[in-house]
Amino acid sequence: MSAVPPPPPPAPAAPSGETAAPPLGVPDDGLDWRRMHPVTPVVRGWGVIVVLFLVGFNQVATDVEGAGEVVSSVNPLWFVGGLAFFALVVFLYSALAWRMMRYAVGAEAVHLRQGIVFRQQRQARLDRLQAVDIVQPLVARIFGLAELRLEVAGGADSAVKVGFLKIGDAETLRAELLARAAGVTVAEGEAAPVAPEEQVIQVEPGMLVGSLLRTGALLAFLAILVGLGVAAVLAHTAAPLLSAIPGLIGFGSYLAQRFVGEYGFVGAVSPDGIRLRRGLLETRSQTIPPGRVQAIRLSQPLLWRRKDWWRVEVNVAGYGSITADAKSSSQVLLPVGDRRAALDALWLVLPDLGLTDALAVLDEALVGSGPSETFTTSPRSARILDPLTWRRNGFAVAPRALLLRQGRLVRQLVVVPHERTQSLGVEQGPLQRRLGVASFALHTTVGPVTPQIAHLAEADAARLLAEQDERARTARNSEGPELWMRQIATEPVAEVVTEPVTEPAAEPTGDGA
Amino acid sequence: MTEPTGLFDPDGIVWQRVSGRLVTARLISLGIGIGLPVVVLAVLAVLLTPWLWLPAAVLLVIGVACASVIARQVHAIGYAERADDLLIRKGVLFRSLVVVPYGRMQFVDVSAGPLARALGIASVQLHTASPTTDASIDGLEPGEAARLRDRLASRGEAQLAGL
Repeated sequence: MSAVPPPPPPAPAAPSGETAAPPLGVPDDGLDWRRMHPVTPVVRGWGVIVVLFLVGFNQVATDVEGAGEVVSSVNPLWFVGGLAFFALVVFLYSALAWRMMRYAVGAEAVHLRQGIVFRQQRQARLDRLQAVDIVQPLVARIFGLAELRLEVAGGADSAVKVGFLKIGDAETLRAELLARAAGVTVAEGEAAPVAPEEQVIQVEPGMLVGSLLRTGALLAFLAILVGLGVAAVLAHTAAPLLSAIPGLIGFGSYLAQRFVGEYGFVGAVSPDGIRLRRGLLETRSQTIPPGRVQAIRLSQPLLWRRKDWWRVEVNVAGYGSITADAKSSSQVLLPVGDRRAALDALWLVLPDLGLTDALAVLDEALVGSGPSETFTTSPRSARILDPLTWRRNGFAVAPRALLLRQGRLVRQLVVVPHERTQSLGVEQGPLQRRLGVASFALHTTVGPVTPQIAHLAEADAARLLAEQDERARTARNSEGPELWMRQIATEPVAEVVTEPVTEPAAEPTGDGA
Repeated sequence: MTEPTGLFDPDGIVWQRVSGRLVTARLISLGIGIGLPVVVLAVLAVLLTPWLWLPAAVLLVIGVACASVIARQVHAIGYAERADDLLIRKGVLFRSLVVVPYGRMQFVDVSAGPLARALGIASVQLHTASPTTDASIDGLEPGEAARLRDRLASRGEAQLAGL
């Protein structure tokens, strides 16, 4: 694996200067250093320019006369000259920054270099790859560019961002990285095979709007608005209503953000893992390789119950630490969908729970209540602590995963594959001890899902702790290699889509992509 | 106070205790945290107004209550190295038990502040990929802390798993 097969320079980013001697401290380390697209600094920095412009505009707008005086007092030549100088500096800086930005794909890692004053070199091991995203902000879409983000399980800001590239190049690079991460050997001078994908989930815009209108927060907001309206009528002044305007703007922008972020959601399965695409303005195409989902949650807010709609979120190691705005939507596996779609989403992550009647168990997990053969729930003594949900709080053990059921008003089902367990814990407060119950928690990576179950009977908690520890160890030991293509093979997708949940596990047929 | 029940004391586990000097360490930090304000309040009460005796008394009661449970708390801390995982038990009133498989360990911290160094104790903390894993052991002898660190590191390496 030491020889780096240098892919033929498919003229990726910079058509010129490709073969020139590597300048500015790029060492000759046998790696094929490639450049980003020259427009990159513009796409990255346009926000700054817009902000400067807006600030200037705001200053002028608030004090038009003062601005006029300032402008008339200054020689217009100086003004234009200053602007030109500023533009020149920005241009030179951008050009230099672009010259310093390079990336290379080695046999085992992706390398990235950037920075003028503070130089940064970063490499991400391909076998530690947690997810690969292709992100296209609106401006980048205009230029037909995209940024490739490689998520590794580091701390904050640990993603390796390769961008911007032409969209076609980004897709080629993604295929190459995923193929290498999967352990598929790519022949020298040959493009990596693009894994075929089969669409499983699609969210219609109408359903998305419906789901956003059915949030409890919207109803609460409307109630407040009505209250303020009544107050306004009683007080004969519009002041109360005006006070709601900031809230209205904030809430509207929240809904708009959700809509824009989750618009056109498509979930597909491919040998590379789960493919998710979404976005109205900024589009995002995620690939989560097999075995990278740490935990999954299906949840149903109260107002979605009549429609039987569900939302599915996942914990993926790399996504936990990315910035707040992208975070909310990166970890969504299904923004909204009926039960069938939610189970399909679950199936994407866990094709096989190891249960013979998985559908029945999952139905019970989603809407059931009370103890049964499969589910162990809180004992009766917990009803003081949990009057509403004690009959529903419970767990079931499937051969491949642990199912945690909770919530009565907002129904939730958390599924954690046994081999993804990090550590386990039980806790007990004084009141719980008196009632003979304890809370169980399963620790997983950062994300929206926190697998835990409150108030189990002491004996059940002790048994679960001991057995889950054992199950997690067994599952871990029997887990395949990180190079997933060496272990599993493509499954008959088309057949699976019709009945995802009941479909047995992938049969190793031996042929990869 | 009753001994831990079966949940926090699984069969066949021999708990290792931490050093009694942790009691001293915690008492000293409690003394600094609560004793010092009490003294300041008392001085001010004598100098300014007797009303300040009230917060001083409240603080003192809290301090004494905390001090009275510290010994039991320290005694309740226990850890056990099993073949594949480390068990850590804590708490008197609010009990917790954490099971950390060695293969899940990402790194180990050994730390000792000035007070702990003066008393000759250190703490070891295990970190997994999950921030919710609270696996720290306070009040270890420095030798034991180093041994545990090396032991955990070598076992973690032997059973290394991805994520």
